[in-house]
Amino acid sequence: MRVGLLPAQGGSYRWVMLTLATMGILISALPVAVVTLMSFSAAETSGFPPSEFSLRWYGEVARMFSNEDASSAQSVVDSTLTSLLVAVIVMMISTVVCVPLAYALARGERRIRAGMELLFTLPLVFPLVMLGIAFLLIAEGLAWELGIWRIIIPHIALVLPFVLRNCLSAMGGISVELEEAAISLGAPPLRAIWDIVVPLMKAGILAGLIFALIISFNEFTITFFMYTIDVSTLPIWMYSRTVSSLDPSTLALSVYIIAADVILILLVDKLIAGRANLF
Amino acid sequence: MSDTHLHIDGITKRFGDVTALDNIDLRVERGAFVCLLGPSGCGKTTLLRIIAGFEKASQGRMMLDGTDITNLAPHKRGFGMVFQSLALFPHMSVAQNIAYGLKLRKASKAEQRDRVEELLTLIELPQIADRPVSALSGGQRQRVAIARALAIRPQLFLLDEPLSALDAKLRDSMQIELRRLQQKFGVTTVLVTHDQTEAMMLADELVVLNDGHIQQAAPPSTVYQSPANPFVADFIGAANLMPATASAAGTLIVLGQDTGLPVPHHPGSTLRAAVRAENIQLHSVNGSGQGMAQVEFSRNLGPVTEWLVSAQGQEIRVRGVTGFGAAPQVGDQVNLALDAGRISVFTT
Repeated sequence: MRVGLLPAQGGSYRWVMLTLATMGILISALPVAVVTLMSFSAAETSGFPPSEFSLRWYGEVARMFSNEDASSAQSVVDSTLTSLLVAVIVMMISTVVCVPLAYALARGERRIRAGMELLFTLPLVFPLVMLGIAFLLIAEGLAWELGIWRIIIPHIALVLPFVLRNCLSAMGGISVELEEAAISLGAPPLRAIWDIVVPLMKAGILAGLIFALIISFNEFTITFFMYTIDVSTLPIWMYSRTVSSLDPSTLALSVYIIAADVILILLVDKLIAGRANLF
Repeated sequence: MSDTHLHIDGITKRFGDVTALDNIDLRVERGAFVCLLGPSGCGKTTLLRIIAGFEKASQGRMMLDGTDITNLAPHKRGFGMVFQSLALFPHMSVAQNIAYGLKLRKASKAEQRDRVEELLTLIELPQIADRPVSALSGGQRQRVAIARALAIRPQLFLLDEPLSALDAKLRDSMQIELRRLQQKFGVTTVLVTHDQTEAMMLADELVVLNDGHIQQAAPPSTVYQSPANPFVADFIGAANLMPATASAAGTLIVLGQDTGLPVPHHPGSTLRAAVRAENIQLHSVNGSGQGMAQVEFSRNLGPVTEWLVSAQGQEIRVRGVTGFGAAPQVGDQVNLALDAGRISVFTT
């Protein structure tokens, strides 16, 4: 007979577990729930809880995207396109960097691997504001016309640890003997990597790609230092919109973004199903 | 007439300060089944990896049919290899695994299909072509790995402890299967193992390695019956090693007993005799008489019974057919009779 890990009745143990679990779920889900609820408000300004419900702000978002408002310096359409472009380029570059890097680290010396992993994780532990200032100083110091790359480069630095981790854990399960088997059957080393290692890494690579996309698309802190009149992203636009007028259209917009993110994360979960964790 | 297929000529391999292989010379005959046998860390796997080209020798060269292949890249050697982990490609079906080497050789689709079918029939698994390798049992994986290596019609067939992961019964049937396939293809084969029974059973030529040196290279029966040195005697079939000396008459004296075996050594010289457990017979001493040895332990293994006896402070292993001859019990006094024709004598 199976014995449950939690006592079936009574015991403070059970209560502690339930309370902690509930708190965890509330804390992580609360902002999403509140934003979603408020976005259905019928009122002119954001308030909680909304007194009346409607879909008017969702219509407002649709109108913002279809009717170009020439008067605003940086339109929502422009910043959305910039955000998407940045996210896609960041995604591609970080993958092109991380797949060979993960291969080299996994096959290389253990000591070097530990050091390199630490190095690539540094942007994670660095305060984002400091990172933003540092990148701004570098960009200004260079005095080059960087265009969209002034946002892409910091995003790559931010996203690399996530993509690298995913690729490394994907490499972890691929034994050298698989490659050697391909080589013994007549495959030149690069062909063996292409035929054997890359297909086996695919799930990890795709998971890393999607993380890169989401992190870059939602990034605010560093972008806040780096954006210019010409190059700005959707989170920056949403911030300035919220500061100037507190109507619920930005909330409706974020619900759209949350929905897209959730779909992507479900996809990641499916891709690396069976793995212990996402990072 | 000898027909050398692979000639390993003075191969030395050093890892830093450690010498894994020291000046190895070996000639492998065409179509022969050679087993590299030794304890772990003896260099046998390193030698196989050097043959395959995955490891570079520090010194020496290797000739295949008289052509120097020392510096040939591993993917150009055309040797089929079966790895310890088998290394089947998990994202491919059985047929794709077997056809991979043929695809690289740009064989036509029809050619690939025919060859896959032929091999699957040979390994007696004709119905599994489209299964993913994850759906196979241990024995099936084994056969597929062998088929994949043989599909490319390899010049040399290399196996790195391929049967070590199987349970005893399956291993036994795979050994027969492997030997059968090897003979059918007539492919020159080098297998690495630490299991002496496996090596004895499979090999035409047994190469016993220890400490980076070849201890003996000979047919299994020769290695078994006349081991070249105490290490081989001990490693193959766990012989009893006993101090011995030569008598004035030039015969061998072991445990104070004259065996009558003539030896070409000076009387009184210090020798060592190796006698296998099955070449010793126990004779019970009747009554309260004093024998040469006392039985310390006995165990019945079914067809055979094993005894550990102590004689002159030395522990000696004896094995006899159960129910045949004396069956002394623990504590009994016994005399030992050594089969003089089966004693190996060493000076070191």
